Amino acid sequence: MTTTLEDSATRTALAGAIARSIGAAGVTITAATKLAGGAVQENWRLDVTVEGGPRTGAHTWVVRTDANARIPLSLDRETEAKVLVAAHAAGVKVAEPIAIAGADITLAKPCVVQNWIQGSAQARRIVRDPQLPEYGPALACELANELARIHAIAPPSQELAALPLPLLPPARAEIARLRAALTKAGDPRPALEYILYWLDQHAPPARPLTLVHGDFRTGNYMVRDGRLTGILDWEFAHWGDPDEDIGWLTARCWRFGNDALETGGIATLATFLDAYTSASGRHIHPEAIRYWQIMAAAKWATIAVLQGDRFRLRGEARLELALTGLMPAEMEHDALIDILAWGRAPKGGPKWQ
Amino acid sequence: MAMRRIAPDSLLELAIATLRDELVPALPADKRYAAAMLVNALEISRREIASDVDQPMWKLLDEYYDDGDGTPKKLAADIRSGIVGESTRPGVGQLLLDILESELAITNPKFLAGLG
Repeated sequence: MTTTLEDSATRTALAGAIARSIGAAGVTITAATKLAGGAVQENWRLDVTVEGGPRTGAHTWVVRTDANARIPLSLDRETEAKVLVAAHAAGVKVAEPIAIAGADITLAKPCVVQNWIQGSAQARRIVRDPQLPEYGPALACELANELARIHAIAPPSQELAALPLPLLPPARAEIARLRAALTKAGDPRPALEYILYWLDQHAPPARPLTLVHGDFRTGNYMVRDGRLTGILDWEFAHWGDPDEDIGWLTARCWRFGNDALETGGIATLATFLDAYTSASGRHIHPEAIRYWQIMAAAKWATIAVLQGDRFRLRGEARLELALTGLMPAEMEHDALIDILAWGRAPKGGPKWQ
Repeated sequence: MAMRRIAPDSLLELAIATLRDELVPALPADKRYAAAMLVNALEISRREIASDVDQPMWKLLDEYYDDGDGTPKKLAADIRSGIVGESTRPGVGQLLLDILESELAITNPKFLAGLG
């Protein structure tokens, strides 16, 4: 099933909703093109003409709608849009949010409209670019600066009141979220439960909460001519431990084969950490990144189980979902190797004090 | 005269080779990703037909539980609650790693090969 944006009446209704939202006399959608990717959500490119108001003229925007089935770890579009607005206001390099359309719109699903940004987010193309050695370190520094800006957003925040504050220390809250999702899953994963048990036993102490992007990795940022043009995919944003984002960005599962370049397959860990520490002023515990890399593997394994369930349990007959459902063993393997190696070390496991 | 049947894994192997070597190169660029997924799905199925991927898991379950009581779901629950762990079953982590490697030999042997 596709969204109703293929239907001209719905496009007209969406145009009307956008016009009301931005204070325009009229908005005409001249073209709507579904973009590739987006297993969790659907993205469409919109070519529009705006009449009246501050945005008069021709524009290219992106509309992001929920896919047919959301996985339980991701935000709804309206809450994600609020995060986008807050990040944009904080100076994070993110496509400007133009309009938020929720239940008032005739679209079947909530959506957010953003400015179109130039560039490519294709991870394998980036990590295999022959020019990467020239721009990779500088790109990692740009990412570090953006992540520091994101982590400067902290609760309490009236704008982000829709984001729930965790009732547990961030690592334990994350473990609880993953366990809750797995409890309802169709594929029992003993290895993943072992990893989560270890993470629970070795959880770092609670620290001041910040905004966590939740999916900050190669493949979720746009690059043009070796420069960062925008941070994408905020649907997993939450209040948490900022080291979670660093663990996610640097986890082996998000290096796309460039294992020696720990920062998302584009640069060394030291390059990124130097820039991040300088921009954020935060001290990073040396064992925290390793801990959160294991958490990253557990989270991606859980998401893969849930994506597989969309095929296994909910009947979404898409080969991509079925194949993703066969991937958890890869991330579990990464995590277990790290845990067992850590356990065999002379002092075994992280020491937080 | 005895019938000579073509084994299902041989048939799948031939179908995969035909798809990969003859059809995929002729497809337009925007269809090649879907075709690559198709080849991958068929290769996983072929490997699964030719092996017993669940055998290491059942061996572990037979070792940990009375006859017939163990299931992957029960093991997962017992690990979550701490009933099964390194203190009660030393070496369980390594056994789970071995099980994952037998699973990966079916779903993504290149992953294991890439670890060196």
